[in-house]
Amino acid sequence: MNTQTPILIIGAGFAGLGMAIQLKRSGREDFVLIERAKDVGGTWRDNHYPGIACDVPSHLYSYSYLPNPDWTRVFSPGGEIQAYIRKCAEDEGILPNIHFETDMLKSSWDEAGKEWVVETSKGTYRAKIVISGTGHLADGHMPNIDGLDSFTGDVFHSADWDHSVDLKGKRIGVVGSGASAIQIVPEMQKLASEMIVFQRSAPYMVPRWDRAYTQGERRLSRRDPSVIDDMRSEIFWAGEFNFAQRRNIPKFLDEAKAMAVNHRDSNIKDPELRSKLTPDYEIGCKRLLISNGYYPAIAAENTTLEASALAKVDGDKAIGASGESYDLDVLVFATGFEAVRPPFAKRIFGTEGISLDAHWNKGMQAYDSIAVSGYPNLFIINGPNTGLGHNSVVYIIEAQVDYILGALDQIERANVEVIEVKAEAEEAYMSKLDVMSQGTVWLAGGCKSWYVDERSGRLTLIWPDFAHSFRDENGTFHPEGYNMSTEAVAAE
Amino acid sequence: MLDTNSYREGSVKVDGVVVRYRVAGPDNDRLPLVLVHGTAGSIDGHYGYIFPMMAYRQKVIALDWSEPNGDTLELADLVAQVHAVIEAEVPDGPVSLMGYSLGAVVAAQVSAEMGTKIANLILAAGWLKTDIHQKMRNHVWRTLRDQNSPSITEYMTFCAFSPAFTNTKTLDDMIGAAGLLKMDSFVDKQMDLNARIDIAAACETITAKTLVIGNTFDMMVPKHHSKQLFGTIEDARYAEIPSGHAVVHERAAELFHYVDRFTAQPDIYEAGTIIPAQKP
Repeated sequence: MNTQTPILIIGAGFAGLGMAIQLKRSGREDFVLIERAKDVGGTWRDNHYPGIACDVPSHLYSYSYLPNPDWTRVFSPGGEIQAYIRKCAEDEGILPNIHFETDMLKSSWDEAGKEWVVETSKGTYRAKIVISGTGHLADGHMPNIDGLDSFTGDVFHSADWDHSVDLKGKRIGVVGSGASAIQIVPEMQKLASEMIVFQRSAPYMVPRWDRAYTQGERRLSRRDPSVIDDMRSEIFWAGEFNFAQRRNIPKFLDEAKAMAVNHRDSNIKDPELRSKLTPDYEIGCKRLLISNGYYPAIAAENTTLEASALAKVDGDKAIGASGESYDLDVLVFATGFEAVRPPFAKRIFGTEGISLDAHWNKGMQAYDSIAVSGYPNLFIINGPNTGLGHNSVVYIIEAQVDYILGALDQIERANVEVIEVKAEAEEAYMSKLDVMSQGTVWLAGGCKSWYVDERSGRLTLIWPDFAHSFRDENGTFHPEGYNMSTEAVAAE
Repeated sequence: MLDTNSYREGSVKVDGVVVRYRVAGPDNDRLPLVLVHGTAGSIDGHYGYIFPMMAYRQKVIALDWSEPNGDTLELADLVAQVHAVIEAEVPDGPVSLMGYSLGAVVAAQVSAEMGTKIANLILAAGWLKTDIHQKMRNHVWRTLRDQNSPSITEYMTFCAFSPAFTNTKTLDDMIGAAGLLKMDSFVDKQMDLNARIDIAAACETITAKTLVIGNTFDMMVPKHHSKQLFGTIEDARYAEIPSGHAVVHERAAELFHYVDRFTAQPDIYEAGTIIPAQKP
């Protein structure tokens, strides 16, 4: 099958869908969205492990233009977020534009045709403009564990949970202590006869100010939607305040640390366990976690905290780097995602015929966090330097969608055939980000994290400033950063 | 490794008292920004967020008021201190000047007096002329003070924050915060001055490009005062933050946003504009 479309969007998560909705709202029908799975939702479709929820409050972690009065909690469970995304796609009439079970295999820039040739599991698409919305948390990361094949029990990744496995009364090992693990661990502790948590490094954790919304509050949100605007504003600016911690200002770092230490010490009384749960880096260097259930689960009688990484597996034995060995029935890998080197980049080939992944051999980078020199007519949502340690990525996505809408307007207005970012503009942008990143807790906090590319030591995942300044700086299209060539108009 | 974000300290002598100030941040294409705190405040108390964060954007100068000699504090005393710090640190060329609360009153008066020296002016939660509503609050404060009531700092805290912000804290948090406020003779004099402000005529003469910031839920200097400044100052634009009076704590990041944007591009909104609310 061959499909021609002016605009091709890859991925139907918050990013791709947000793009599609705004295209449709601006009166455009000339786009196709391809999605590798059977449903919309992206990471919220794939991640359905027990205990899944978002760590940004729901009234902010949603589209600004599609408020939802029916969130049941401050931090709603993952299933509700997935249902919200699906409802957005339905209500906005996007489903007919989505080609499901269509996996992008290879996208190549066709210099002669001035378009992208996108090979998929369902045939070839040709598109003038490609917009990728494949996200940071799309492909689960499985560490290479010696002997894992020999494991006699059940094994799966948190982003691919096997609900057919009966966990009740089992000896369960959870590998990891990051954002997914801390949601999974309290649920496993309730089920397991015995639970082992393999912790490579201790996380910082603060309380989760969660609660259910009452019927009255939800009805009020329906009757007076300005209430939702007020909540969004309050949550957003409270989050923004915390950027001062990431900026590494001692007063704010100390306040955050005091909150985390107090949270740990009020839950964990055993001094040895406390010491295992004490991070050896600065707060915020790795993702700051929020949970009320994690520490009590770790302190429970049936839990053992193995303060070393899982090193190898031998039959039913899981062995930590410390040498400690545990007999297990189930191994759950809550080991995160391929964020630093996103797999989609291996499948996109630009003007020089090399993959974006190879092009990014020193780490991801993009002008205005959206466009890469050598990869014309391509816009990347939620790509390099768009992650936040302190606020909602949906806000960033909306800013990037606005940017792309501006670019598309310009392309249409000026009859642009090829738009490619100037290499010097991209370098200047990265130099600016390098300066902004210096001294932030991500670089100076003494940790190893997925925010930093080991190959360059550069902060490639994170926007190293306030979220609001991302919108100020990257929320509108900057034509001056691009070379644009126009189509030859045929003589009539 | 902590980012100590070091600053340089300086001081000037004004009418026989030493006025201390701090300087931080790089020289660049933005004008140096001078920060003036409000009643019972200090650099750390009112600009604990804005000073270090703005120092990542540009050169920032902030002063701590010094208690002048004499029984009564006049606006001119504080104006002279700001004047002296500006002259000492930025002898040549224009500056941006920001004041908060009584500091906004001081900054407006400084701007009227220094003319083109103050190119950009930011007035957060300031006022033009003390009105009956303010005098009533000031009167209650005076009564509690005269009674040496321990409730005085709780009353101040109650007035300073919006109900919504207060409701994100516990009662103990709020009472604890009140306990950090210290009363002294200088605060008494500032409160006395607060009851006698009238800078209406001076504000008519301000030529600086001005950003007036009012706070929707301000019970101490309700937003109509900021609207009055917005009307009176010729080259003024107005932004509103859904905060109580203590915007420097409650909505510090949103305040930062407006300060950052305005100091980077003072021309982005023309005079008379009501800047649209931030809708994240």
